[in-house]
Amino acid sequence: MSIFKKEFSTFSIVLMAVAIALNIAVGTLILGLKVPLYLDSIGTVLVGVLVGPWAGAVTGFLANIIWVFFGNPVYAPFAGVAAIIGVLAAVFAHIGWFKIWWRAAVAGIIVGFVAAIISAPIAAYVFGGTLGAGTDAIVALFRGAGLDALGANMAQGITSDPIDKMITFFVVWAVLQALPQRFKARASGE
Amino acid sequence: MRGNLLYLDKESGLHKLHPLTKLAFTLFLLVCAAALADLIWLLAAFVFLLVPLAWWGRVISPVLRSGLAVITPFVISLSLIQGFFTGGETELFSVGSFVFTLEGWLAGLTVAARILVALSGALLLTLSTRPDALMHALTQRGLPNGLAYIVLSSIQIFPRFQDRAQLILQAQQARGLETQTHFVRRLGLLVPLTGPLILSSIVDVEERAMALEARAFSRAGRKTSLLVLRDSLGQRLVRLALLTVGLGLVAMRVWYLLQ
Amino acid sequence: MISLRNFSYRYPSQERFALQELNLEIKAGQFCGVVGANGAGKSTLCYALSGFAPHFFRGEVQGQGLIGKLDIAKSSLGELAGEVGLVFQNAFNQISGARFTVRGEIAFGLENLGIARRQIQARVDDVLDALNLTDLASRSPYELSGGQQQRVAIASILAMRPKVLVLDEPVSQLDPHGTEEIFKIIEMISQSGETTVVLVEHKLEWLAAYADRVLVLDQGRVVMDGPARSVLASADMMKLGIGRTQYSQVAEIARKQGLVSDAGLLPVTLKQARALFR
Repeated sequence: MSIFKKEFSTFSIVLMAVAIALNIAVGTLILGLKVPLYLDSIGTVLVGVLVGPWAGAVTGFLANIIWVFFGNPVYAPFAGVAAIIGVLAAVFAHIGWFKIWWRAAVAGIIVGFVAAIISAPIAAYVFGGTLGAGTDAIVALFRGAGLDALGANMAQGITSDPIDKMITFFVVWAVLQALPQRFKARASGE
Repeated sequence: MRGNLLYLDKESGLHKLHPLTKLAFTLFLLVCAAALADLIWLLAAFVFLLVPLAWWGRVISPVLRSGLAVITPFVISLSLIQGFFTGGETELFSVGSFVFTLEGWLAGLTVAARILVALSGALLLTLSTRPDALMHALTQRGLPNGLAYIVLSSIQIFPRFQDRAQLILQAQQARGLETQTHFVRRLGLLVPLTGPLILSSIVDVEERAMALEARAFSRAGRKTSLLVLRDSLGQRLVRLALLTVGLGLVAMRVWYLLQ
Repeated sequence: MISLRNFSYRYPSQERFALQELNLEIKAGQFCGVVGANGAGKSTLCYALSGFAPHFFRGEVQGQGLIGKLDIAKSSLGELAGEVGLVFQNAFNQISGARFTVRGEIAFGLENLGIARRQIQARVDDVLDALNLTDLASRSPYELSGGQQQRVAIASILAMRPKVLVLDEPVSQLDPHGTEEIFKIIEMISQSGETTVVLVEHKLEWLAAYADRVLVLDQGRVVMDGPARSVLASADMMKLGIGRTQYSQVAEIARKQGLVSDAGLLPVTLKQARALFR
């Protein structure tokens, strides 16, 4: 079975859609928890780990693009970064780093740094360096524009804070412990 | 909080166009945003391309409102940052040892204009095009069905997932989440709260996949469609023209940058 | 229509066969109820009849199963989807999400089957009308109540004109109003005689009223199979952990108290109960 077929079975496709919805829902939960995190790529990382790099990439990419339909095109330029996060999650899973909690956390930090490094020039080019003023500024201005307040509050794809990714990867590790083996086997295409 | 699709259903010429034509307009505007060199050209694109299209689509009000509202803070911060820190010759004023130059200011405004054109171009598309129509048009041109499905279904199911998240939050708030709990303890709640949310969604995956299979989703063979999109020779020509001019603009910009 | 011969099925992660040596013939147009205690294999039977076992869940099949001319083990899920429709409990999960209106949602399966557009329109209109969904045709399926969503799910499957309709506890998550809506629809479907209906259901009174025949599953085997009344009135139902209709319960008490002298089958419907007490 080609990788494509394997990573894009009906089951994986549904998982990807659910993962994107999870990105948003978990983001909402975190907001309510009032901790300085975004955790908006949990779904992307989960798919990367459970299914594979292509699926992880597509999940991250589409998760950012979808916001355009809701009037938040600001995340779209970072779709590529989100895709890379998905791919890297798959890579780290493949080399076994999701088996031990602290390795998963370290993987998260690494991915966070990579994402930040790639995001910076994109932000600089697209937004002329103003992103340095902090993502809160972006949030405030989209809110002020009357665009969907929900999306405005979640700087999805913009923050590549290594700490945020570290915690994301850790949470995914924790979830993996609780997932039934049957499900994991299904997702990876056995 | 719910995400609301930006799409506004209006009786307009723009709305009636084939989704790919509208996509072509947007992509062309994005190319303009990236490839046009001067502020004056960017403003011209906004005034002579975007505004008439938006007016035709009866969405001029949301586009202007959102577009200009978003751009104002950018204008301010970009003006300040680039005005002071991008070198230039013509000094306008100075603060201490920081010199605010005209060239710098114009550079800042140019970036703001790029954002304006790109942003409004995207808004134009989403205000006038239903996601399912757009996905259908793309599927006809070769986008895999699976990808279209992912886009459309995630758009529709995430509000329900958010409701679940809200319920979980409310239950936690009833236990004094905000008032009593210490920051570190809130962090500790992270896994116990997100865990169940994620795990319950996982069960959904299997059932949803079964439902899709029950609708012959994985059947090999040609699929037909209830939805019919109207296209025309005129629109095809317009798309071709936009593609050509767009490529031309990109070529010009690249050539200019290579100088 | 449905023919199982020594049919057994085992889920991949289990050693024990969830369905064991089932021998079953269900004629076209019959309405067959399925009851059993939890874990008896009712859902697995539904999955087997619709091809999800083995094609979706993987696992092992022994024996032979035929739906019409299609061999369950040898046909693909896509092929079987056109012949057998499966409806399950959770209405929300059965809304594909691929379409933005009820009409579009119902048409989705037909589009996948490659049916011509004119026919799709005709079938969708038919089914909207039959299930009283015409008013909701342009609404988003996600704005509907649970009962309405389940109606849309059934409509979406019916539009595909399956020869067999399998329903796995379709009303257990619905309120009484929703439940009634769905039962009315199932009744209508079975009365048309065109579709073979297999319904897993706990509401014995309902099965008693509408099913021609009832199968009782216990630990993966068919332990009883016969006309609705004789099966549902049987004393073994209590032993098998299934229970009885309220009419049977009342009649049995009446018998023990000597109020009724009839020693035949216990009543399972209101009509039969009335006849007994006259």
